[in-house]
Amino acid sequence: MAGRRVLITGVGSYLGGALARRLERDPEFEYVAGLDTRRPRVSLESTELIDADIRNAVIARLIPPAEVDTVVHNQIVRRPGPGISPQAMHDINVIGSLQLLAACEKADSVRSIVIRGSAGVYGAEPHAPQFFREEMTRLFPMRTRFQRDVAEIENYFETYSRRHPGAVCTMLRYQPGIGSSQDTQITRYLSLPVVPTYLGFDPRLQFVHEHDALEALVAAVRNPVRGAVNVAAPGTIGLTRMVRLAGRPTLPIVPPLFDGVTGVGKRLGLLDLSDDFTRLLRYGRATDTTRLVEEVGCRPRFTTVEAVRDYLRAQGGRRLLPVLRHAVAP
Amino acid sequence: MSAARVDERERIRFDAADAAPAIGFLRRLREGLDAGLDLPEAAARGAAGLPGGARDAVRRAARRRAGGYDEDDWGLDEEFVELVFPFFEFLYDRWWRVETSGVVHVPSHGRALLAANHAGILPWDGTMLSFAIQREHPLPRYPRFLVLNWAFDLPVISVAMRKVGGVVASPYNAFQLLEEDELVAVFPEGVKGAGKPFRERYRLQRFGRGGFVEIALRTRAPIVPVAIVGSEEIYPKLGDAPAVGRLLGAPYFPLTPTFPWLGPLGAVPLPSKWRIEFCEPIPIADYGPNAADDRSLVFELSERVRETIQQKLYENLVKRGSAFL
Repeated sequence: MAGRRVLITGVGSYLGGALARRLERDPEFEYVAGLDTRRPRVSLESTELIDADIRNAVIARLIPPAEVDTVVHNQIVRRPGPGISPQAMHDINVIGSLQLLAACEKADSVRSIVIRGSAGVYGAEPHAPQFFREEMTRLFPMRTRFQRDVAEIENYFETYSRRHPGAVCTMLRYQPGIGSSQDTQITRYLSLPVVPTYLGFDPRLQFVHEHDALEALVAAVRNPVRGAVNVAAPGTIGLTRMVRLAGRPTLPIVPPLFDGVTGVGKRLGLLDLSDDFTRLLRYGRATDTTRLVEEVGCRPRFTTVEAVRDYLRAQGGRRLLPVLRHAVAP
Repeated sequence: MSAARVDERERIRFDAADAAPAIGFLRRLREGLDAGLDLPEAAARGAAGLPGGARDAVRRAARRRAGGYDEDDWGLDEEFVELVFPFFEFLYDRWWRVETSGVVHVPSHGRALLAANHAGILPWDGTMLSFAIQREHPLPRYPRFLVLNWAFDLPVISVAMRKVGGVVASPYNAFQLLEEDELVAVFPEGVKGAGKPFRERYRLQRFGRGGFVEIALRTRAPIVPVAIVGSEEIYPKLGDAPAVGRLLGAPYFPLTPTFPWLGPLGAVPLPSKWRIEFCEPIPIADYGPNAADDRSLVFELSERVRETIQQKLYENLVKRGSAFL
C-alpha cells in the first residue's frame, strides 16, 4: 500500500499539533497536511500547513488537490474561552464542519473521516445510565447549545457516510480532557483558588488523559471504524474526591443560586464555566469504552483516577516530563 | 525543610505524651497548624496521643478529607458503608426491630435479581434490604438497589444513596450490573408503589410492563422475590398536594401526619415493626435466550413474582401482629 495521506484540521490546537508530529514520523504516512489559521504549538518538520479558516468556502478549493485519503476533523471548540464568543464557537463548530464536508464531497480520494467530537452529546442528567453506550444519544432532551451543535455535527457526518458508502466516518466522542500540557475547562477549574460546587451534589466524572486522547486519534486514523466511539479513561471519580485530592478549598453553593454566583465570578473575570460544564458539576457523566478498546484497538493507559492523579502530580511542583514526550519519541 | 520546622515537629510529638487526651489533641492540632501543616495532616499527627478508637477515627477522617478513599465504578464507597453501619444497625435493631428470614435464598455469589415491594420516596426499604443481607447472610455482599429516578435529583440524599449502593433505576443499569454478576434489588412497583396512599398499604400495584423479568431472562439471573413488611407504615400518606409536587418537579407531594407540618422532622420515619422475608428463587436458566421476547411468558413470570410477594406479605403481616409495638 502506498503511503497514506492525511489532512488534520485544527492543527494549531494542542492535540492537532501532537497528532501531526506523530504521523509525520510514522513511515506509513507519506503526507500530512494541517489546516488552521493559528500556528502549530509544536515544531513540525514535513507537515504542509494550509493557512485557511475552516468556516470559509475557500477550503473546498484547497483540500481536493492534496489528494488525502484521511481527514481528521479536530476543530470542534469545546468551550467559549478568551477570544471566542459562543457565537464564534457555534460558527466554527457547525459551519466549519459543513464547509469541511463540502470540501470532502469534491475530493474523491477521501476514504475515511475521523472526527474528534464530544461526549457532551449525551448531556449530563440525574437519571442517566451509569455508563453511556454509543447508541444512547437520544435518551434525554437536548439542554445546551453546545449539545445541540454536537448533535447537529454528528448528523451531518452520518448523512455524509450514508451518501458515500465507500468512506468511513468515525465519530470519536471525547470526554473532557485532562493533562498538564492542555488548557481545558477542567484544568482551569482545578486551578481556581476556591472551587465552586453544588451543595449536596457529588457527581461521578470521567475524563480522558491527554496521552490517551492522542492515542485514540492515532488508533482511529490507523483503524477507522464506522459510527460513534466513546473516548474516555475507564472508571469515574467523584467530584468531591477529586477536589480533595487537588487540595482545593470548595465553595458549596445552593443549587438555585449557583448560576448567580458563578455569573458574578464571570463578570469579575475570575472564572468562565460553560453551560455544559455547569451541568457536569451537578450531575456528572460517564461513558462505556468497550468499543474503543475492542474495535478501535486503543486501550487507555490511564484510568480516570490515575489521569487526575497524574495531572495533579505534574502540577504539584515536582513537575515530571509531560507523559506525551515518551509516547512521541521514536 | 528548615531545621526550625523539624524542631517544631519534634516538640509536638514530645508534648503528646503528658497532656490529657482531648485537650492534648486540640493543642497539637493547633500547633501543627501553626507549624504550617494543612488541616488533615495536622489532625492525623495530633491524634497520636488519643486512645485507640478515637485515634483511628480521626486518622480516617483526615485521610478521607484529603481524598484518600475509593469509590467503585458505580459510586459505592465501602468505607462509607462501614462508617454508617452503626446508624443502620440502630435503625435495624432498635428503630424498626427487623426480623429477617430466608436470607439463604440469596445466592452468595453470581448474579441475582431481588424483587421487593416498595413504599415511600426515600428508599429506606432498599437500604434495610441491603443491610439485612450484610448482617444476616453467611457470605455478606453489597446488593445494588435501583432507586426511583427522581431521588437522584435531590441534594445530599442522592450522594448518600449512591455511596451505599443505590443506582438510577434504568434498564441499562440493571442489565449491566447483572452482566457484571452483581446482586441487584429492584422495586417493580416503581413510582406507583412510592405514591401509594396509606389505606392501600401492602396491596401490590401493577408491576409495570414486566421489564425486570425481561432483564432477568436476558441475563439469566434468578429472581428472588422479597416481601418487606413494615416499610409501608413509616410514612403513612394520607393525602397528596399534586400542585406543590409539580412545582418541585416531584412525582407527587405526600401529606403524612408529620410531613410537611414538622418541616425536616417530618422526614423522620415512624418506628413501625419490620419483617423481611426472602423467598425461594424463581429459576430462569431453563428458558432460552429468546424467552425475553415472549410477552406471555414475561407477564406470566411477572405475575408469579407478584403473587409470591403478595402472599408472603399477608403471611408476615399476620405473624407480625401489631404494626408499631
